[in-house]
Amino acid sequence: MAIKEMSQLIGNGLDRAVELMAVAAHNSFRFKDRNNIKIITVEGEDLEQIAEYCFSLGDMAPLAARDGRHLAQLMKEPCSLMIIGDTRKSEFNYNCGACGYKTCAELNKAEEVESLTANGPSCMFKNLNLGIAANAAASMAHRLGLHCRVFSTLAFSALALEVITGVDIVISISVSVAKKNPYFDRHEFWTKEHWDEIFAKEFPTYNRGFIGAVED
Amino acid sequence: MERSIKQYEMDRVEAARVAARLILASGTTSPRVGGVGECSIHIFDDECDIEDICQEMEEMAEIKKSWSFFKRDAAMLRDADVVLVATSLRCVEDPADINCNLCGKLVCEYLKEEEKLTDDPDVAFRGPLCIFRAANIAYALDGMMSQARNLGIDYGVFWSAGAAAMRMRLLPKNTGFSLAMGISITEKSPFRDIPKRYAEINQRSMNDRMIQRLWPQFRSIYS
Repeated sequence: MAIKEMSQLIGNGLDRAVELMAVAAHNSFRFKDRNNIKIITVEGEDLEQIAEYCFSLGDMAPLAARDGRHLAQLMKEPCSLMIIGDTRKSEFNYNCGACGYKTCAELNKAEEVESLTANGPSCMFKNLNLGIAANAAASMAHRLGLHCRVFSTLAFSALALEVITGVDIVISISVSVAKKNPYFDRHEFWTKEHWDEIFAKEFPTYNRGFIGAVED
Repeated sequence: MERSIKQYEMDRVEAARVAARLILASGTTSPRVGGVGECSIHIFDDECDIEDICQEMEEMAEIKKSWSFFKRDAAMLRDADVVLVATSLRCVEDPADINCNLCGKLVCEYLKEEEKLTDDPDVAFRGPLCIFRAANIAYALDGMMSQARNLGIDYGVFWSAGAAAMRMRLLPKNTGFSLAMGISITEKSPFRDIPKRYAEINQRSMNDRMIQRLWPQFRSIYS
């Protein structure tokens, strides 16, 4: 069969692109040439639980709820979520103090604090390595013409749901080959009335003409 | 003949200065969490300013053993044409308020209450800092590196120089964390192929010892 359909081309292209993103993240700059980040991708049905979990955080974390809702919509078209993680302890021996401990040894000995988002305290340079890997993956996605956005919320959910294991700090890069860029200007998520209400709540003084007026 | 070489030398340095500004542009437009401005990038393109930073790094290298590599970094950075320093301005006073626990304090309120490390000589950055905020500097840095690569310019990343610039109070006063990137437009990258004992044995010291010191003696004896 010499003819390939567009959906097949795009699906295969996405798979290939995500692999190239993993290569870019894997080979990105590292402090002290440390390269033991963990990279996984999540696609299809496995994304659903992440979306549901995020959405369920509701009032506690409106941002997570927004991203969960967004992911549920994103899944209707081919997409992929790359999750990059690393452990929290320092092997750098930089003793820089950024984590709040004078030496790396003290940080490594400190009691681990577990939470749904990340296990702390974590080394600043570990986080930088992770951020650089994420940026390299996103940069590759951009060059390959994919729609792309980096999410902490989705990564935190993946960690909480143990989709990714053996790591303490995580970040995720969501890519999509939707017909229009789904990551920016997401106006379809709210009605005009809802938007106006939230705006009035968050910026109450915006519509006030006189600063001495008493609020009712 | 000689004048054209001199012109080339001047143009080379000028190219580094122009490139530094383009690298700053890329670092500035790289993503920030939540779109909140957090980082600033500062250009040091005067060789005396770079030398000042290098000397501070060498002084810091004496403070503790784990910082001894600062001397090697200084030797590398002396060969840089321009040094860019990226800062994180919100990580001290203004945590991200998302309770991410990267700092290990569970919620941001606890981080705010936490006492910072004292301003001792052996403390480079007075943590605990908001790591979620400071992670923006990773994006800025990768944006800068990506631009340098696109422009075909050699670069090296040094947290030592960032810490030294901070200690010298060259950066905005809110800076909690900073990293430096040296760029060089030369035929051989000064940031690659670094042999052992580079702090003492490098292009500069070899030139001083082999050419400036021995050659005049050879010349006066064998003339």
